[in-house]
Amino acid sequence: MILYFLRRLALTIPTFVALMFVTFVAIRLVPGDPVEVRVGEHGISPERLEFFRHQLGLDQPVWKQFLHYFWQILHGDFGVSLATQQKVLTEFLTLFPATVELSFFAMMFAVLIGVPAGAIAAVKRGSVFDQSLMMVSLFGYSMPIFWWGLLLIMFVSVQLGWTPVAGRVDLINYYYDQPTGFMLIDAALSDQEGAVKDAMLHLLLPAIVLGTVPLGVIARMTRSSMLEVLSEDYVRTARAKGLSPLRVIGVHALRNALLPVVTVIGLMVSSLLAGAVLTETIFSWPGVGHWLIDSIWRRDYPALQGGVMLVSTVVILVNLIVDLLYGAINPRIRHGR
Amino acid sequence: MAAEVADESQRVLAQPSPLAAFWSAFAENRGAVVGLGVVSTIVLIAIFADVIAPHSPIEQFREAVRVKPVWAAGGSWRFILGADGDGRDMLSRLIFGARVSLFIGVAVMSVSFVIGVALGLVSAMAGSLVDVVITRAMDLIMAVPSLVLAILVVAILGPSLTNTIVAVTIVYLPRYVRLVRASAMGELNKDYVTAARVAGVGTLRLMFVTILPNCLAPLIVQAALGVSDAILEAAGLGFLGLGAQPPTPEWGSMLADSREFIRSDPWIVTLPGLAILITVVAINLTGDGLRDALDPRMRRS
Repeated sequence: MILYFLRRLALTIPTFVALMFVTFVAIRLVPGDPVEVRVGEHGISPERLEFFRHQLGLDQPVWKQFLHYFWQILHGDFGVSLATQQKVLTEFLTLFPATVELSFFAMMFAVLIGVPAGAIAAVKRGSVFDQSLMMVSLFGYSMPIFWWGLLLIMFVSVQLGWTPVAGRVDLINYYYDQPTGFMLIDAALSDQEGAVKDAMLHLLLPAIVLGTVPLGVIARMTRSSMLEVLSEDYVRTARAKGLSPLRVIGVHALRNALLPVVTVIGLMVSSLLAGAVLTETIFSWPGVGHWLIDSIWRRDYPALQGGVMLVSTVVILVNLIVDLLYGAINPRIRHGR
Repeated sequence: MAAEVADESQRVLAQPSPLAAFWSAFAENRGAVVGLGVVSTIVLIAIFADVIAPHSPIEQFREAVRVKPVWAAGGSWRFILGADGDGRDMLSRLIFGARVSLFIGVAVMSVSFVIGVALGLVSAMAGSLVDVVITRAMDLIMAVPSLVLAILVVAILGPSLTNTIVAVTIVYLPRYVRLVRASAMGELNKDYVTAARVAGVGTLRLMFVTILPNCLAPLIVQAALGVSDAILEAAGLGFLGLGAQPPTPEWGSMLADSREFIRSDPWIVTLPGLAILITVVAINLTGDGLRDALDPRMRRS
């Protein structure tokens, strides 16, 4: 197990170094000199320019600059945002809980509906329910989620007036400290009446929008995995023993059918973060995705560079954890490679 | 009925041509046939956009700003689906949008298919260092969330239709490389490859003539589904303002333009998204049918 752990960890390191290299090169390929971007259009004297270049380390050879960048990142320094003059890591950590909260509830939405629906569809294979679920699933994972978000805003928020249009909290009526950054928890901690409901209403549509594609994928995965399991010998044995159908399906079959589904859920983190960029843009959700897009429009390249680096690091780490967990559950994987 | 049975048995006896066998397997899936029908229609619309579209997609009719569609009060047959905020005919923009989206989808698919096949085969055949480098590079691309990577590429190259294609191609390249590599690795140890080697077949011939055809089935399925993914991704970029630039009638950027009319004119928001959804669903249906017909092992039961 330890050997597997070390081997898997060793595989992550080159990916991580390559990631640093690519972000380093990418930001140097972006048109525009970083110093000129910083000083604006008016320009400054050559001496000051030289000074700034020295300050940013741009007068050093490129390989030295890369080593410096490498060294900084190893020390948790991801640069300073041009727009806010704040550390990129600090900004990221302030905004990340919003994205995590959104993604978590999106996944809850997808799993809580997708898994039971997929399992029922498999048991009632060929039924009207099965066929309609597969139709819904097809539309789910084919959905342009930015459009889906606009439609929901149009009908649920604007016409019915049930949910707020944007943001995480109604700042006119509620103001409370945000010690955790997770709005539901912070709202519960504050003793303001209705704050939790307000936070939930803000979360509802974005979570549905971000969860739609995963819902389609999970429902379909659960169904086909369940169909496979239902024809296994141990399910027949369980049935033959006279166990109740509910027990056979719920305990014997579903538990085994969920293994591949769990892996898929773990590996969905990357696409979830990609979807968060769009979802956060539509709902003005102050998370990491929204911030990355803003950084582009503000030409805030240090923020973009650090942001891409940090987001990808999260993905690499989560994938690593999923792999390790999977290795822990399934000995065949552990010893296979 | 009887005639049908006779026909069926005759076909079995006559060993149907591969194409006929493929078609009968494909046609078993009703959804796939419907999907193929819709895809073909959209392709025809895209090809003959100049003939079909009632107006130019970029001409602005000052008097027609946000004219309602024909079924609503105040609509007219001149602008069947209404006009957008700049007085451009929605129907014409949607029709020309099909051309843009399909072009992006097919361009991304073909470029990543060709590069992916080349890299995947080289990776599988060369082994050792080359394999490690290619595999690691693909892992790296997969580590960055697709849209974030596309955004980074567009930030470097600048937003345009061509750069959208470049960005989305990079994002989807690993799928093809990994698929080709995995299936080529599986084929490499088989007897027919050894036989070809012993017979003195050169490396290039071995790669493209001996091994590649045996890896094609899953690749074709991936390519079909890759078109719809590319269309979605490109529309997402367009929506963020990082894709095709105005006045190009691109569905994603049309949606972005429509956001301000969300309260007043819902149809401007609804139509472009519907076009994307229909196209993507139709391609995915066709892809599923292809999967069932070409690769029984990958059947989604």
